[in-house]
Amino acid sequence: MEYLIHIAILVSIYAILGLSLNLVVGFTGLLSITQAAFYGIGAYVTAILLTSTGMNFFLAMLIGMLITSILALAIGFVLSRFKDDYYALGSLGFNVIIYGIFLNWYGLTRGPLGIPGIPRPSLFGFTFSENAWFLLLSVICAAIIYFLCQFIVKSSFGRVLKAIREDDVAIAVFGYRTLWYKLAIFVISAAMAAMAGSLFASYITFIDPSSFVLTESIFILAIIILGGLANNRGAIVGAACLILLPEILRFVGFPDDVAAQLRQFSYGIILIILMLYRPQGLVGEYRL
Amino acid sequence: MEIVPQLIVNSMNAGATYALVALGFNLIYGTAKFFDLGYGALAAVGGYTVFFLYRGLGLNLYISILLGAFVAGAIGMIIYRLVYAPLRKRRSSSMVLLVAALGVMIALQSIIAILFSNQFQTLSRNVGSAVTYSIFGGVVTQLQTITLILGLLIMAAIGLVFRYTLFGKAIKAISDDEEVSKIVGINTTKVMSWVFFIGSAIAGLAGVLVGFDTGIEPTMGLSLLLKGVIAAIIGGIGNVYGGVLGAFFLGFIENFGIWQISGEWKDAIAFGVLIVFLLFRPQGLLKR
Repeated sequence: MEYLIHIAILVSIYAILGLSLNLVVGFTGLLSITQAAFYGIGAYVTAILLTSTGMNFFLAMLIGMLITSILALAIGFVLSRFKDDYYALGSLGFNVIIYGIFLNWYGLTRGPLGIPGIPRPSLFGFTFSENAWFLLLSVICAAIIYFLCQFIVKSSFGRVLKAIREDDVAIAVFGYRTLWYKLAIFVISAAMAAMAGSLFASYITFIDPSSFVLTESIFILAIIILGGLANNRGAIVGAACLILLPEILRFVGFPDDVAAQLRQFSYGIILIILMLYRPQGLVGEYRL
Repeated sequence: MEIVPQLIVNSMNAGATYALVALGFNLIYGTAKFFDLGYGALAAVGGYTVFFLYRGLGLNLYISILLGAFVAGAIGMIIYRLVYAPLRKRRSSSMVLLVAALGVMIALQSIIAILFSNQFQTLSRNVGSAVTYSIFGGVVTQLQTITLILGLLIMAAIGLVFRYTLFGKAIKAISDDEEVSKIVGINTTKVMSWVFFIGSAIAGLAGVLVGFDTGIEPTMGLSLLLKGVIAAIIGGIGNVYGGVLGAFFLGFIENFGIWQISGEWKDAIAFGVLIVFLLFRPQGLLKR
């Protein structure tokens, strides 16, 4: 039971990450491979605030989201100068830079040693120390993000995003400032990823830079490509599939380290096969 | 050992390695027009083949190195035939190819990790007995000299092939317009397969040389590739000489950049340079 709860918590955290990245990649058509960086910034800000000042988790989460948003604004501004595959490459670069900062800014992040002893969230004297309660919290967060994403993509703002994806010159001719739309959605997406990071940090109670490497960004990308781009339900389905798959591998009886590598191998192969045979994913509404 | 000459020597060494990677990458990018990120993993394939043959089976050094480059080339060619060729036939966008390439990279990395474990290994049999030369107070190993010479030789060879052979002209024709080259009777699939073979073999060679210089690990390809890509972009993507120039430029900036700060910041510096170039001189040092 405890194990199933653990899996469910991971699925809901990755569902948030998938949903947030889908806004940028699926709905706006910007191939961003840097989501793990924002995930990491959110996690680190929360972890540092919780362990050093002991402030409330939810406040720390908000501060984390705010700081991530500011950084995302700057990064998004640089990235907005690029198109298509250069955009992908540039965003990938930011992931490497921010990972480098996690690893090397020893005074702040303790480098490869990571930050241990992050407390679980508490609200009005109630602590979410039981995993079942934490599951409730993370599912609520994922649900909020899901409805927020649904609201965004159904709004007029969301329609402009889709128009940018289809033809950003045409929509610019109609008088829309595409730059602001791209920046806005990039920042919103980053803030959501930061929220997932806060949840992750306080759930595992320990973070180190290895959770926020480039492969993690590719993993999140694989989630939404498998589930289907530009479909919010697809992001959740993708997260569930890709989290459950390696667990099945573990049950088949592979040793842990091989299972970890097989997990990577399987999502690499999934990406290749999807690109070859079904680029729109399971329930996707847009293909790259 | 004085600091400035040593920094210059280190810059040249780094530049020579990046130049090799950039050469192969430029060759592939120039013809296929997409960011082949899977290319990085082929460096690791080369390194590990030599590890297996030279350290494991005790084969002759030079035969092992040749076979290492050959295996990397062959795998690169197979991947082209299985993954990239069908995608290109379908006129998939460069982003689809990029995502497929990410899948290739991750899958190859994890296969290597399963076969040889994640441990960092060295290639040389007798560590610490490397032959070194001293130039103006800077120390350089024999191997690093070989890398430098090889890089320049391969650059010259590619330049000559492009200028004087039918094969080189076919590559140029394909990179200009694939459809028309088909019409005039160029077997594009065959030429492209060779391009991927040669490019991947160069990557394999670079992986072997890095393996002898520092060591090998399954994820070594990614950082090597990113440096090669950065070198190619700042040199002027698709331009053979530009890539080499960019590689040395990058080597110098990286090594002088860490004069006062810790060496771990190299990657961040490299990407900083990339972003500055993409923003202010996207066509690179030498235009194609």
